[in-house]
Amino acid sequence: MSHLQMLSRIPRPLRTLERGMAQSQGWVTRYFKAFCKGFFVAVPVAVTFLDRVACVARVEGASMQPSLNPGGSQSSDVVLLNHWKVRNFEVQRGDIVSLVSPKNPEQKIIKRVIALEGDIVKTIGHKNRYVKVPRGHIWVEGDHHGHSFDSNSFGPVSLGLLHAHATHILWPPERWQKLESVLPPERLPVQSEKESLHGSP
Amino acid sequence: MVIAGIPETLDVIFLFSRGPWWQSLHRTMLRGILGKTFRLVGYTIQYACIAHCAFEYVGGVVMCSGPSMEPTIQNSDIVCAENLSRHFYGIQRGDIVIAKSPSDPKSNICKRVIGLEGDKILTSRPSDFFKSHNYVPTGHVWLEGDNLQNSTDSRYYGPVPYGLIRGRIFFKIWPLSDFGFLRDSPNGHRSPGD
Repeated sequence: MSHLQMLSRIPRPLRTLERGMAQSQGWVTRYFKAFCKGFFVAVPVAVTFLDRVACVARVEGASMQPSLNPGGSQSSDVVLLNHWKVRNFEVQRGDIVSLVSPKNPEQKIIKRVIALEGDIVKTIGHKNRYVKVPRGHIWVEGDHHGHSFDSNSFGPVSLGLLHAHATHILWPPERWQKLESVLPPERLPVQSEKESLHGSP
Repeated sequence: MVIAGIPETLDVIFLFSRGPWWQSLHRTMLRGILGKTFRLVGYTIQYACIAHCAFEYVGGVVMCSGPSMEPTIQNSDIVCAENLSRHFYGIQRGDIVIAKSPSDPKSNICKRVIGLEGDKILTSRPSDFFKSHNYVPTGHVWLEGDNLQNSTDSRYYGPVPYGLIRGRIFFKIWPLSDFGFLRDSPNGHRSPGD
């Protein structure tokens, strides 16, 4: 009996099932190819966006109370970190920024910028009473003095360690707000080079 | 090599605009100039993102300038840098690294790692009678150029935080007379812990 004669003996529903199976294998290969193409677009774009534009992070610890995490460990705030604003390393006094910890490169810390390069800061608990911030560095402090591992412990930090600028609190919803760049008046720099250059009598 | 992606997605969105007015507009204008512009923008974004991921997480080719690493790396040499060691914290003593300059975050410096955190570094000159040592603090490294007479490095601005390191240089590709892996430091080992 030839092949064709054998094929004609197979009942009709089984033949359509065979054709269906051949088509579904085509579907699988096509789906796999489409998935790979989409993968090579989506992953680099998403990674670049999270690295260069903005990302989201949960704040832990009490060093920025009462601005961030006022409830302690019960409810951690989630903040929006804006990388795009610091792409040229431009920060203002009073900004809340996240940076790579100088003592532990695997960790990021979130603090407020108190002084820029050239300012003279009156320190709290540092080995020197007054510190002049060197070129390319900033002085950061947590709002909760005494419970904060900040420049009063490790000195001025290099601007190259700057990671992002925290602009908004996103969670919990009752704490939705834009984070303002205010400098507490008692933490103003003793003398700032940049201000003295602009027309003081 | 063309990877299907953003431009194709935009094409599909255009095809969904039904109706006579949109169809004639689609046929005349959009498919012509606007379509080509969107296609170009789409591909540019896609390749820029792939380039960013490659330079940030894998490595790239760098041109070095300055005399501070002679004779290992001369002025205008082209070298290959890899960023995997930085992400996996595998930088060791004797590696040549690229780091952001501590006093100017927009420029990069290229130096050799002399000491890791906790190491004792000899900071006095060999001609001094009283030896002075410094300990490298946690989370920092001590960088020095190979050309000790003509290099501003950690002897000038102190230990450098590990977070400023961008990548490790491991291979030189130009000039061709010096093609290959990089030599060890010509200054010997400077930390007494070795």
